Amino acid sequence: MEEQRIGVYVCQCGTNIAKVVNCEEVVRALSEQPGVVVAKTYKYMCSNPGQEMIIADIQEHGLDRIVVAACSPRMHEPTFRKAIQTAGLNPYFVEMANIREQCSWVHDDPQVATDKARALTFGALHRVAKHEPLERMSVEMCPDVLVIGGGVCGMTAALELADGGNHVYLVEREGTLGGNVARVDLTAPYLDSARDLITALVTRVEEHKRIDVLVHSQVSSLEGFVGNFTATVETIWGDGASVSQFRVGNVVVATGYKEFDASRVVHYGYGKLPNVITSFEFEKMLRAGRIQTKEGKIPQYVAIIHCVGSRSKEFHTYCSRVCCMTALKYAHEVKSAIPNCYVSDVYIDMHAFGKGHEDFYKRGSEAKTLFLMYAKNDHPVIRKAGPGDDCEMLIEVNEKLSGEQIEIPADLVILMVGMEAREDSDAVARLVNISRDKDGWFIESHPKLDPVATTTDGIYIAGVCAAPKDIPDTVAQARAAAGRILAKTIRGSIEIDAVFAEIDEDKCSGCRVCNALCPYSAITYDASKKKSTVISAVCKACGACVAACPSGAIKARHFTDSQIFAQIEGVLT
Amino acid sequence: MADKKLQIALYWGAACGGCDVAVLDTNEFILDVAAVADIRLWPIAADGKYKDIEAMADGELDLAIFNGGVRNSENEHIAHLLRQKSKLLVAFGSCAYMGGIPGLANLTSREKILETAYRRNPSIEWGNRVVPQPETKLNGKELEIPKFYRRVYKLDQVVDVDYYIPGCPPQPDRVRETLLAIVKGELPPKGSVVGAFDHALCEDCPRTKNEKKVKKFYRPWEIKADPDTCLLEQGVLCCGVATRSGCGVRCPTSGIPCRGCYGPPPGVTDQGAKLASAVASIVDSKDPNEIEEILAGLPDFTSFAYRYGVAASLLQRSYRQ
Ligand SMILES: Cc1cc2nc3c(=O)[nH]c(=O)nc-3n(C[C@H](O)[C@H](O)[C@H](O)COP(=O)(O)OP(=O)(O)OC[C@H]3O[C@@H](n4cnc5c(N)ncnc54)[C@H](O)[C@@H]3O)c2cc1C
Ligand code: SF4
Ligand code: SF4
Ligand code: SF4
Ligand code: SF4
Ligand code: SF4
Repeated sequence: MEEQRIGVYVCQCGTNIAKVVNCEEVVRALSEQPGVVVAKTYKYMCSNPGQEMIIADIQEHGLDRIVVAACSPRMHEPTFRKAIQTAGLNPYFVEMANIREQCSWVHDDPQVATDKARALTFGALHRVAKHEPLERMSVEMCPDVLVIGGGVCGMTAALELADGGNHVYLVEREGTLGGNVARVDLTAPYLDSARDLITALVTRVEEHKRIDVLVHSQVSSLEGFVGNFTATVETIWGDGASVSQFRVGNVVVATGYKEFDASRVVHYGYGKLPNVITSFEFEKMLRAGRIQTKEGKIPQYVAIIHCVGSRSKEFHTYCSRVCCMTALKYAHEVKSAIPNCYVSDVYIDMHAFGKGHEDFYKRGSEAKTLFLMYAKNDHPVIRKAGPGDDCEMLIEVNEKLSGEQIEIPADLVILMVGMEAREDSDAVARLVNISRDKDGWFIESHPKLDPVATTTDGIYIAGVCAAPKDIPDTVAQARAAAGRILAKTIRGSIEIDAVFAEIDEDKCSGCRVCNALCPYSAITYDASKKKSTVISAVCKACGACVAACPSGAIKARHFTDSQIFAQIEGVLT
Repeated sequence: MADKKLQIALYWGAACGGCDVAVLDTNEFILDVAAVADIRLWPIAADGKYKDIEAMADGELDLAIFNGGVRNSENEHIAHLLRQKSKLLVAFGSCAYMGGIPGLANLTSREKILETAYRRNPSIEWGNRVVPQPETKLNGKELEIPKFYRRVYKLDQVVDVDYYIPGCPPQPDRVRETLLAIVKGELPPKGSVVGAFDHALCEDCPRTKNEKKVKKFYRPWEIKADPDTCLLEQGVLCCGVATRSGCGVRCPTSGIPCRGCYGPPPGVTDQGAKLASAVASIVDSKDPNEIEEILAGLPDFTSFAYRYGVAASLLQRSYRQ
């Protein structure tokens, strides 16, 4: 091999690195190494002048490999790859040594930090010498989209995508579209009709020429990778079933939630006391237009209890986010239907964080509702009233603000049941290859910066299936997911990172040790050839299979044995 | 070469004798070799003195076949000698190639070995529990025996080696093919592993392979394994996944797991490490306690995974000689 010409750049990161690491000393040590043509230190390597310095040096000194000792490659590897590419080098000919997070930020002793920075930079130097030029791949992007779940979320995403020109397959398990909102009467906080909202959406979806609606249907398999998935959908008709298959480039998961099972909270007597009902049962009453007890009487006392199954140690620790406003909505609806009814609202905290919610709360508290606060994990207790009482039930509350034990009458108790991940969320997660958190909600790629994407390219999550939220937040996510997909499909193809695992067919013994290992399901086994292959577009280069393959058939590009050994040797010199 | 008979030497270092038997097992072939070659040294079968070898000119031998590892100063001396006197030096068998079974002793210390062999061994008579010393004075005379090293070396850790023939012992057919190729001068590039293939054993193993997920490991006698399914996925540790093919799948076709004697497949630096990560990868559990329990079914995994390759492993103890 021709003698390599390597440039080494040690960043001071303002004083972030330089205050602990002696950057000049690192430069001095590196400049004496064979192959190093240029070694410099600079205040901010990632700044424009920093990058331009590298570019100018590449051109002036004919450098062909670059080492940047600076921050984490997670931060600026793309920056430096782009810079050296501008100068005409293959973008993979740069290696970073992390002397900030791994040195100056974690060590106080300047000598120790400097020694370590030098060792890490030596490692990068030895490694970069072994780098191979890599080319990014481009794969075709099928514009069609699969949307799983036909609630507000799925319908909104489907419409946005179809309006944008993409064909959408909308798969809904139930016989009708609408999801949980279709079970609601008025929506908080503006008291618009849920029925109108859903009807408008359903009509547009069903009439849209670019949306295929498949009700009574479920996705039974999803194979392939971003841009090139094949979905298989099973549809159950009255007397039979049919299977359809189609190609899609991206998937939106919008499977929503189910309500918490109120009978799990035993001291509320749900299922035993006939007039203890859930919010959804109350919505049904509202939609039917008559608020009444099981016995058909108009209730004189209505009590609403918040956080049923939510914000509790025993059940779910999270807040379900919509129950507080829904409870206020009920207080309002009861009052307007039965003006002389006494409504009490038993809550832990009033969560009114959304747009218009605080005003709604204010209006609710003016409407002569009795608000009682109870402490988390100190539930009210409901019991049947005695013959002398003028009500059906009595609720005992340790009222937190007054510090008193208060007993309130009730003819009808509404339990504000929280939201819960669906029973089959695990199966759905496996189907599309994404993960769930401890509560069963799907996990996003980044909780703050990348909320609707997942760690599997081409799979998006939106609406409540990712965590409890109200309709406006659901709609925003649905449109965000659709927007992400539209932006990706408009180009017709996508670039795939050049770093992935490859299987050398000649060396693969077909032992199948790697087959069940890939967290992204990137490995397939060809039974006729008796060999395994990695689908490079799916592989995330995690390295699990590379380490496992006992016959050394799997190589991770950019993380080859010789590169890693060279790096270790460099660190140890 | 036709006008002059080939000059050959065979030698054993730290060996069990099996490799020499493997050469003898080529039967009449070895007689054919004898017809075209002068066997100048072969301790197991023919007389020959070290001093005769010492007297040779450099490069006078055409071929030296060295089996066994390098355990003591005598082994090392002869290794250097044969290297100097022979045009080609072949590491024959797993011991010469990777340190082999004797190399397992690298997991313990020289002191412990001598203690076990000469003091604690129950078959030694009282009064006879003497640890041999490199130098002894007897009746006013200095006696010397070879120095017992702190560890076993594979041959190429001591001298430059031209070819490697793996196997414990190498399969006679492979030996025949390889010797023939050498005799005919049809030689692969220096440093090649010969007498074996370039892929792992599983490729040639007729057992059916499925996705591997193991909940329990068995010693071979603890389970009646299905004869047509991969042993490893039945929980019987089979090293075939990380072993170079060449033996003819002797063990798995006889119902017992491969022990890895042919060494790592090409491109694998450390056979034991590969076995460890392969075995860890097929454990079917995500629960730390259960994993612990499953792995407890693997007694002395280091000796198992490195049965032949301790001396060749990436991980070496540092010895202060
Ligand atoms: C009592 C109550 C009252 C509420 N009132 C309000 C309100 O007033 N205002 C407000 O903003 N929000 C309200 N909400 C919140 C609202 O319900 C949610 O924001 C909304 O339903 C989220 O929509 P989604 O599409 O994400 O989920 P969902 O409505 O749950 O829809 C999911 C859809 O996916 C389908 N599905 C699920 N799994 C599969 C599968 N495997 N295959 C195919 N299809 C599948 C389901 O059948 C369903 O149709 C209320 C919630 C509750 C509990
Ligand atoms: S582990 Fe390696 S040898 Fe075995 S099937 Fe996978 S790629 Fe092939
Ligand atoms: S490197 Fe990781 S992501 Fe890529 S195929 Fe192997 S196991 Fe899958
Ligand atoms: S390789 Fe096997 S047969 Fe040959 S000497 Fe070593 S232990 Fe004996
Ligand atoms: S692991 Fe062993 S039994 Fe299984 S296929 Fe490989 S050689 Fe055969
Ligand atoms: S199967 Fe394995 S242990 Fe048995 S002979 Fe072959 S390589 Fe050696």
